[in-house]
Amino acid sequence: MPGLIRDLEALLDPRRVFSQPEDLLAYMNDATHKRVMPAVVVQPVTSAEISRVLSYANTHRIPVVPRGAGTGLAGGATPGTESIVIDLKGLRQVIEVDKQNLTATVECGVVTQKFHTLVESMGLFYPPDPQSMLVCTMGGNVATRAGGPRGVKYGTTKDYVLGVKAVLPDGEIISYGGKSVKMSSGYDLARLLTGSEGTLGIISNVTVKLLTLPAYRQTMVAVFAELEAAAEAVSAIIAAGAVPSSLELLTKSSLETIEAFMPLGLPKDAEAFLLIELDGHEEKVKEETQQIRAICQKKGVTETKIARDASEAERMWLARRVLFPATARRAPNILIEDATVNRTQVPAMVRAIKRIAKLNHLVIGVSGHVGDGNLHPGILTDRSDPELMRRAEKAMGEIAKEALNLGGTLSGEHGIGYLKAPFLEWEFQSAGVNLMRRIKHAFDPNGIMNPGKIWVDGGETHV
Amino acid sequence: MYRLKDYAKEINRCIQCNFCLEHCPVYIEDGLESSVARGRLNLIQALLLEKTLILSDRAGVLLNRCLLCTNCTQGCPSGIPVDDIVITARVELQKNYGLGRGKSFLLRQVVNRSNTTNIATKALSLARRLNMVPEEFPEVVSPSFEQRVPSIVKPEGEIRGKVGYFIGCATNYLYPEIGDAVIKVLTALGYEVVIPANQHCCGIPALAHGELGAAQEAVRWNADLFSKLDVDAVITDCTSCGYMLKVKAAKTLENNDPCQSKVASVAEKVVEITEFVTREGLGHNFKLILGKSKDLERMDVTYHVPCHRAWSPNLIQAPRKLISMLPAVSLAEMNEPQRCCGAGGSFFVDHKDLAESILDRKLKNIQSTGAEAVMTQCPACRYYLRGGLEKKMPVFHPLELLAKAIHLV
Ligand SMILES: Cc1cc2nc3c(=O)[nH]c(=O)nc-3n(C[C@H](O)[C@H](O)[C@H](O)COP(=O)(O)OP(=O)(O)OC[C@H]3O[C@@H](n4cnc5c(N)ncnc54)[C@H](O)[C@@H]3O)c2cc1C
Repeated sequence: MPGLIRDLEALLDPRRVFSQPEDLLAYMNDATHKRVMPAVVVQPVTSAEISRVLSYANTHRIPVVPRGAGTGLAGGATPGTESIVIDLKGLRQVIEVDKQNLTATVECGVVTQKFHTLVESMGLFYPPDPQSMLVCTMGGNVATRAGGPRGVKYGTTKDYVLGVKAVLPDGEIISYGGKSVKMSSGYDLARLLTGSEGTLGIISNVTVKLLTLPAYRQTMVAVFAELEAAAEAVSAIIAAGAVPSSLELLTKSSLETIEAFMPLGLPKDAEAFLLIELDGHEEKVKEETQQIRAICQKKGVTETKIARDASEAERMWLARRVLFPATARRAPNILIEDATVNRTQVPAMVRAIKRIAKLNHLVIGVSGHVGDGNLHPGILTDRSDPELMRRAEKAMGEIAKEALNLGGTLSGEHGIGYLKAPFLEWEFQSAGVNLMRRIKHAFDPNGIMNPGKIWVDGGETHV
Repeated sequence: MYRLKDYAKEINRCIQCNFCLEHCPVYIEDGLESSVARGRLNLIQALLLEKTLILSDRAGVLLNRCLLCTNCTQGCPSGIPVDDIVITARVELQKNYGLGRGKSFLLRQVVNRSNTTNIATKALSLARRLNMVPEEFPEVVSPSFEQRVPSIVKPEGEIRGKVGYFIGCATNYLYPEIGDAVIKVLTALGYEVVIPANQHCCGIPALAHGELGAAQEAVRWNADLFSKLDVDAVITDCTSCGYMLKVKAAKTLENNDPCQSKVASVAEKVVEITEFVTREGLGHNFKLILGKSKDLERMDVTYHVPCHRAWSPNLIQAPRKLISMLPAVSLAEMNEPQRCCGAGGSFFVDHKDLAESILDRKLKNIQSTGAEAVMTQCPACRYYLRGGLEKKMPVFHPLELLAKAIHLV
């Protein structure tokens, strides 16, 4: 499409328009397995430039795929054929950190970890901690409602977005919300764009709420021989009002994977290994730590250990941290699921995952943010083996269905993308999905924004 | 072995997490995902394995725009040896399309140092004509370090051990003062230093250009030379030579090559000098000497960590430890001490603008420490940082600082 390239080169700095296949190859996928070569990649650096590209694409009905760091696990940033990929990492200014109002405004390409480091250096705290934060972008986080271990106490990205500035497909730029913590004015467009996975418009700036950095942290582990006992303990801990800042579960299969990668002396016979972190005022944290220990003991814990200092805490976290590299070494592709159920259903969900793994002859490691019921089954697979891939995708559907049966949701924090799009109607039925389609149509009448994501035309598939 | 089919599996292991975005100095400057490991692996896969793309100028550019700094590999959750894969792709390209006769000839000449400084000087002037070294490149020293040191240097007094010394090309031709410092420190510590004559280049520059043949020649020669020695350790003062001897040498040859056992026996003994000194300890007498070195000017130094560091676990802490033992010198840590300086062996010659923007970042980090000197164990970094610092600040090997302290007894 030489006309397309020429036109885009006229709209932007031509050095930020890439159309050679050698470059496009790098933008064919996100962290999921499907690869599609787009027509062109552009790198705008201002919302005005984004606006020019969108209105051009809208006029010519060319599909557009917004892209942050391309770490998505649902395939949201996977391009369609003949599409324009808009790489947003060039919008990387932190516009303001407001200590008085406890807010910050950033451009969408700011890397989450860099943002953390910055606000923490000022004694402030931005809790959402997706485990990809080393590279993922704030815009990508907002567009997927990303979360992380701290979700159990602090919620996910959606709970921090106060306002957005967004470019709509026709090139219009809208702003909604800002520093006011209270807002009851009109439809909540910021919420609507949050989690929209690039299907409504491009979020160029976000204003987020900040907290003050907790003064004290305490880490502990609790080992259980039975999953049910661990789940009961988790519910009891939260019911008692001692809400940890993280409550991570490693099941037996994950413990084995970690031990094989880096021998840390993790318990061998444990079905559940809970990693618990508390934060807040020192006195209160210490008191709650003891309270949690007592609850675990009442529920039949086999071992509890409280970190005596930062280095011991770091060693405890190491197990959780190396889970990803340890799993990564077991297979070339991992479908990281994020089906989420309510806390009390965690044991039922874990059992279902085990059954699904066995039925489909797959290895599925289970870990997760057990405090908020957000499990991460990791299905080991290999893109170059179509038969294995088929079984993996089938299992993914089965896990999704099971989560819904248990009253949960398809996705706790990764989004729907193309991977889970076939399942959307299971969760919202056709009435719900149709309403979403109408909303999308209102924003994007020509359907240029990230088509093929969130739902598929044609509805339910296999399983 | 640097053969693409041996790496097909490794490439396929990439789980596409894109964490390499954080680690790639080239990406940090140009913001292009095709510059980063994930993009490169996908390119190599399409180009050389799946053959869905044909080789183009752009592919060549992208494959050559890698510093082989290994930062992506060090940060890779899957531990994929990205630099080896890029090298393999270059070997493949080199085999099929060639580097140009001049460059190939030169890389072969440089590997073989058994000739004389005369040839090195000639090689340098040829390199200048081929634009393989920058204008301001220093003249080679004459006689070379190797030519003027005896083959065995014994310590005064009791012998604590016996070590071989692998002399890298930089020490030999450009920075003989590093060699002098190494020998001085080792002998002061009580080591007998064995310096076999006719050492070759370690082979890593040839390998980086995809000249596998020349690299093999170097590997075989040096393995032969050093495996014959009856020594406790083989010392190197250069982190890239160390990387080559310790890790990469074996990969240049077939698994069943008869030379492999020699390569392995040398690899086992290779130690970076700073690590060796801190590991073995300075010894009782030596500490006393240092304690008296009150004449050494007070100095703050900052440490630039070489990219080729992962082959040895304590290589990056050793200089810091060393500094803590020197009473008159203190360490002023810079921001991002492990970020590449842009030199990348001779990368900076072919990618001047890119390398300079990487360098700028480094220089800012160095200058904001307020230190009076920089230390690093890599001669390419040393050369490149020196150029960037424009003589405002000296760049040393950590061993030179130690040698200075001994001098002032
Ligand atoms: C190893 C690993 C660990 C992970 N851990 C977590 C985790 O703990 N929690 C979690 O929630 N996720 C996790 N993820 C998934 C992923 O990192 C998150 O979904 C993240 O929010 C994606 O950000 P990104 O910048 O990479 O966006 P991309 O992947 O590039 O895009 C994601 C979606 O957002 C859209 N988009 C991106 N930017 C914009 C914008 N400015 N405006 C509009 N739409 C936009 C894209 O079109 C796409 O649909 C993990 C991923 C990996 C690879």
